[in-house]
This record gives sequence, structure tokens and C-alpha cells, in this order.
Amino acid sequence: MRKDLVFGMAGSGGDGIVSAGDSLLQAASAEGYHGVMTKSFGSQIRGGESSCRVRISTDHVLNPGGNLDVAVALNWEDFLKFGAELPVAGTTVVIYEAATGVPENQIPLVGVTPLQVIAVPIAAMAKEHAGTERAKNTVVLGLIAGWFGIGGEAVMKGISKKLAKKSMELVEANQKAFDAGVTFAKEHPLKADMTVVPSASKGKVKLLTDGNDMCAAAAIFAGCQFFGGYPITPSTEIMQFFTNHVWKYGGAVLQAEDEIAGIGSAVGASFAGKKAMTATSGPGLSLKSEMMGLASIAELPLVIVDVQRGGPSTGLPTKTEQSDLFAAAFSAHGDVIRPVLAPTSVADTFRTTVEAFNIAEYYQTPVIILSDQEIASRKETLDPIDTSQFKILNRLQPSGADLQDYKRFKQTESHISPISHPGMQGGTYLASGIEHVESGAPTNSGSVHQRMNDKRIKKLDPLKERKDLFEITGNPDAPLALVAWGSVAGVCREALQMAQAEGLDVKLMVPYLLYPVAEQTYTDFFASVQKGLVVEQSHLAQTFKVLRMHLDLPKGLQSLARSGANPFLPGEIVAALHHLLSELQRSHEGKLQPQE
Amino acid sequence: MSATCEFQAKDYKSDLKPIWCPGCGDYSVVQGIYRALAAIGRPPHEVAFISGIGCSSRIPGYTTAYGFNTVHGRALPIAQGIKLANPDLLVLAAGGDGDGFSIGGGHIAHLIRRNIDITYIVMDNQIYGLTKGQLSPTSQKGRTTCTSPYGSLENPVNPLLYTLAYGAGFVAQASPTDLAGMAAIIEEAIRYPGFAFVNVQSPCVTYGEEAQQIKGLKAISASLKELGHDPADRLAAMDLAQHYGEKMHLGVFYRNPEPPPTYDALIRERQVQLSQGALPKERILDLFIKK
Repeated sequence: MRKDLVFGMAGSGGDGIVSAGDSLLQAASAEGYHGVMTKSFGSQIRGGESSCRVRISTDHVLNPGGNLDVAVALNWEDFLKFGAELPVAGTTVVIYEAATGVPENQIPLVGVTPLQVIAVPIAAMAKEHAGTERAKNTVVLGLIAGWFGIGGEAVMKGISKKLAKKSMELVEANQKAFDAGVTFAKEHPLKADMTVVPSASKGKVKLLTDGNDMCAAAAIFAGCQFFGGYPITPSTEIMQFFTNHVWKYGGAVLQAEDEIAGIGSAVGASFAGKKAMTATSGPGLSLKSEMMGLASIAELPLVIVDVQRGGPSTGLPTKTEQSDLFAAAFSAHGDVIRPVLAPTSVADTFRTTVEAFNIAEYYQTPVIILSDQEIASRKETLDPIDTSQFKILNRLQPSGADLQDYKRFKQTESHISPISHPGMQGGTYLASGIEHVESGAPTNSGSVHQRMNDKRIKKLDPLKERKDLFEITGNPDAPLALVAWGSVAGVCREALQMAQAEGLDVKLMVPYLLYPVAEQTYTDFFASVQKGLVVEQSHLAQTFKVLRMHLDLPKGLQSLARSGANPFLPGEIVAALHHLLSELQRSHEGKLQPQE
Repeated sequence: MSATCEFQAKDYKSDLKPIWCPGCGDYSVVQGIYRALAAIGRPPHEVAFISGIGCSSRIPGYTTAYGFNTVHGRALPIAQGIKLANPDLLVLAAGGDGDGFSIGGGHIAHLIRRNIDITYIVMDNQIYGLTKGQLSPTSQKGRTTCTSPYGSLENPVNPLLYTLAYGAGFVAQASPTDLAGMAAIIEEAIRYPGFAFVNVQSPCVTYGEEAQQIKGLKAISASLKELGHDPADRLAAMDLAQHYGEKMHLGVFYRNPEPPPTYDALIRERQVQLSQGALPKERILDLFIKK
């Protein structure tokens, strides 16, 4: 029996493979399992290849998993297009459509001998039992229920609920397709028992959502009352959530005419005193960068979400990458620091988003949330979040005394000045993109510019002291280390557990605050480190380079970096750590020899 | 909205001294705005005045309203965010012809079709003054400037026809040649419930052509009222607007006699409707509960 199973399924758009994944995850969640589902598509909207990975576990799931335990191919052409996104290994059970005509001993996976390969006449079973090949995905769900013990009643309950709106005949047809799948599985038992042990948390309330919806919900919780944006994959669902819900909280959302107007309207709303947000992906971030400069100099709170995808330009618009760090940290004119935060999962997208609003409002600055396609569109089961544990910060309002002789950009000890907004009597001022004196009046003075730059940059210094924006796990004195952020952090968390189980002395740093770089926190972390890896999905190794720019890294710290849509597997990171350890041991031996 | 009380033009004038060239048409525009705001009587702190970049975009700083001198071409996107975030505010936007019809030329069409209650004043001088005399989107074809030394090969944008064609509910033209008339037009534009556009022929004394100075403008000016134009007649307005550049028609080209509801008002209605029985925001994550 198993505690953790990773399914990977691929087919053509229209095969319903992603909705099968959805049903599986929902059913597993109803049965008390933890789970994560990621989707991956070609960039066609219809008819292209589509796939999903569903990981089901009795314990919290840290990432979508490494090699597949179960691979489902409705056709081989589509399955193979996903390459490393659906890795098959010697431990994988491969289930595929018999109508492909491929013999079980000749499946087109080079260099691997799967645990077991089973051709199933999926389409024919769907046709025979449900009267239509469209029920293929339901047959697959039946197979999964039969072989792996997941889903069962809960799957059909979910499907019935969905289909009952259409017709009862459809429900019956799907029940037959499902049962046929279960029967086939029972009649063809697997060589190894791969059923999942029942979950202990059955019946407990769980949340099930993706990173984009979580981000938008967290923003509304944090008090966001305005969203301005423009549709761009893979961030659009954030705007969609706002269009459904923000009105209920007295807020507004604008699908603007372009990316610039999207952020522009959010800058305007913030000037008007409301918490505001925009969301985009890499190309949109480029278009928004002038407005981010304006928000910085006018000291206006604003949250900008960049759901990263493969770039540059349209790049890989439906796949994940971590290659916008340079853009987020540095795509600014002038000397400016914009805080950049990154969530690592759907669950902590809540916390990260609330934190982004708190930082934006408290420090009166634009803040970027660097999410990525994987977190944004993956579905996760989560334990309920106690929102009363989260503190909400608001911008500093001027006091009556401040308004007697109001100076919008008044120098203070914290470098933070009380901020008024239109409608507030006594608080009128000129906000501007031009350099200004304390009152807001324009100036060309070099000395004022120096002082104001100092104010705008120094007010953010306390952020670097925030230890709670870093997660450090493992032995604090370990000689081996991993650094990872965003969706890659989840892979490294699992790698850390595996490495520790194998006796490696290793620790992991996951920064939620990427910029400004908290030099001291990293320096302290690296103090014990002799060898380590900065793991990231960026061909240029942007994180490694940003760190190197800001601090002296240990000589043994290396970069493990590659382009997006080539996911890291926990196992390969553990192997890399073993390699580092052996290097370390060799170098110690080398050093010791002359003394002997 | 607070009760209106008596305000005078000087109550809207700030302490900042304008840095425009002596004789610049924009001095008259700011005077016209002071007068219009005083006639309307909203206190300065309930007015948000947004501009882009250019000589004319300095204008919010010369008023006592909440001003925002933003980035080139983006007065309107920012102004719309302000109005949607707080529809109670009186929102004015202003800028030059380059700001409104070149770098930011894509925005005006969308504000018009949304019908957000903002008044947009363009100080149209057919030249880039702040950057010292380059070709602008409203420069006449054939004009020589420092970026068109052999004469411009481009036809100018017609701001009046442009805004009329997109369906603006209020389109007017004013000029410093008639300050009282300009103040009255700006006042009417602000009072119009919906997006209102005022093109002001505001001469550039430093880089403008002779024909576009006050004297030249006076020579080609004609009052729409005196011509007997009916501002409810959109097609007649478009016909007259075709003469932009040859004639300077002053007054209201078009005023929708039956103004449709504004976007900001519709948003309000939606907020009221949908807030009934909504989950408190502390419980918004309940939306994700799967049983």
C-alpha cells in the first residue's frame, strides 16, 4: 500500500483529461487526502495537447512530485510533447489507450523500463458502456478507482453533481463508463499493490483552490478595493475573481484598455485613498514599469502581481519559469527599490499577498508579488486558514496637527510621511512624478533629490531585518545548503527531507522576500555553508546573480539553474547534494594530506 | 458630497508661480478653470486634478485642488482609477495635444465609451513646447519644426472629430481669445454628467507659428452660438468639426440632450446590489471549502 501517489495524464484538448484530474483531486480531497494538481497545455486553446499531474498523499503535499507513479496516455503523440513534465521511470505503471495499436513491449519511451505497462481499450469501453467516446475520461477515473483505491463513490458523486444539471441520462452513461473502468481494473490486477492507505483526516474541512484565486481572495481580505488590469496568461484569473467578488465589498474592478491603463487606474485608485492592485505576466510587467516608477516617487501604495511564465516575449506562455526576477527587481528608471515577495504554494499565497499589501500600505511603495504559472494555476487542498491571525496594516493618515500645515512628503524619523487623499480637508497637495520638496512642490534641486532618494530608499531598510520573511529549515550549522524560492521551494523542501533521511547534513533557505536583498540574513545562513546549491528555473541563474551582486557568497555555493518547463525533481537535487558532499570530502582529504 | 458654499476664483489658486513663458495661452486656461470651479462651488479638497507631462500638464500644481502630475500620456488612465475609487470627487484631467493624441492617444476612446464622469481639457498648441519645438500630432501637414526640417509629411489628428466620432457626450472648443467664454465652457463641461472633452486652442508663444498666436486665432474664430449651431445635433457638430485647423469654432459642438448613466454611477448600483448578503471579507476563504 502507498501513502503518496503521483498521477500524470495526457491527451488531446477535448479528451477531458484536465477535468478528470479535477474530479480525481476533488474526490481525493473529499476522502481526506491532501493533494496538488498542476495543468500544462500547449498554447492552443482547443485541440492541442493537454495534461495534468495529480499528487495525492496522506500527508501535506510539498510539490507536484517527481517521477510519475502512474502515467496515463490517451495517445502517445500528446503524451510525449510534455517530456520532462511527465517523467516516467522504472517505478511507473503506464496505462495507455489500446487503440493506439502500440504493443505493450514497444511503447515509445526510450531508455526506461516501466514497472508495468497496460494497454486498455479506453475509447472502446467508453463507446460500449456510455455510448460515446467522450466518456473516456470517466473510464480512466474508473480504472484509477479500481487499481489505486482513490475516488470510488466520491468521484461519481462529483461527476453526477456536475452532469445532473444537463441530464440524468448523462449521469447514468458516465456511471456505466466508470463501473467498466473499475471492473477492468479488478479483472487485471497490478503486479504490485499500489492502493492508497485510507486518510486519517477524512471528514475534516479542507479548502481546494489555485494560486490565482487565493491571491485575489487574500487581496480582498487585506482590504483591496480596486483592481485594474488587462488579460494575460497565466494571471487573468486574478482579475476574474475580482470581477466576481470585489463589488460585494464596496470595491471596483476595471478591465482596462491596456496594461499601462490597468496599472494607471490602480495608481489613481491608490492616490484616491484605496488599496489597489494590478496583475500581469512578464510582458505586461515591462509595460507597467514606467508607472511603477511613478508610484515609487509619488510614494503611493500599490501591489503588482507578476505571474511568471516562460520568456522573453510570448515565450512559453502556458508554462512556468522564474525568469522575471531581474525585471521585478531592476526594471526601473532612476534609483529605486521596490520590494519583491514570492509565494511558494497556494496556501502561502494567502500570507504573501496579505504581507504585500501590508508592506505597500505601511511603507507607501509599490510591491511586486512574483508568483509563477505553476503556483497560480495549480490546485491544492489546504487546511482552513484562520484569518483572524493576520494583522492588516493601513497607510499612515495625517493627524489634525499634521493637517494644520500639511506637508505630504515630510521628513520623519522613519522616513514615512502621513498620506492624505482627495476628499480629506486640509490635505491637498500635488503628487507628481517630478522631484519635489516636502510640500510636494516641484524642484530641480540636486540636494533635495539626494535627500528624497535617501528617504524613499531608507524607509524600506527595516524590511531587511524581517526574519519572518525567510524560512530556514535543517541543522543551522550544516555544511550543505539549498536556496530556492517560488514553486521550486516545494521541490527543495521535499529534497531536504529525503536528503536528511539519507543522512546528509543539509539546510534549506526559502526567501519570501527576494528584494531588497537581506544581506545579513543570507550572510548568517551561509556562515556554516561549505557547499550548496541555489536552485532556480532561470537559464541565466538570476537569483544566484542577484545574490552575488549583493554579498560575498561561499566559494562552494553553486547554481543549479535551467529554463522553465523543465521541472526539477526532488531526487535529482538529492543526487546533486551527494555529489557536493563527495567533493567536499575529497577537498578535505586533499587539504589534510600535506600535514600527514 | 459636502454642501456647496461660496467660493471665489482665488480660492482655487495655489501659491506656486507658473513657469510658463510670458504670454502663454495656458495662463488663461488656468484662470478659466479657477472661475469655472468657483461657479460650481465644490471645495478644492473635493477636486482631483490630474495631468500628464508637458508645459500644460503643470497646471494642477497651480490650483489648490488635489493635484497629480503623472507621466506622459497617462492622465486619463489615472483619472479614471480615481473616479472609480471615489465617485464623489470632481475629477478633472488636462494635458497637451501630444499627451492626449500621441503618446496617450489610445486612452481617450476608452474613457469616452465607458462614459466615466471626468472632464478632460486639452491645451492644443500644435507643437511640443516643453521639449523645444518638435512636431506634434496636431501640427499642420507641411509644417517645419526641428524634427520636420523639410516639412511634415503627416496629416494632423482632428481632436474634435476624434472625440465626436467615439461618441463623447460633450465636446467643446475654447480659446484664450475669449476668457469669459472659456470659463463658461469649462463650467458646462464639468456640469455635464459624463465624459466631457474641451479642446482649448492655446497658443505657444515660443515655438508656435505666427498664424496660431492670439491675433491669428482671432482672425479665424467663429462662435458656434452665433452661427446658430444646435449643440444637440451631433451630425451638424461633426460637419463643423471638419474645419478644425482652418476655422476656430468656439463653443459647444455637441452636448447629449439625454445623458446616459455614467460608468461610475452604474458601479455604485452594482456595489449596493451585490453587497447584500455577501460573506464578510474575514470569511472570504469559505468560498474555497469543498465538503
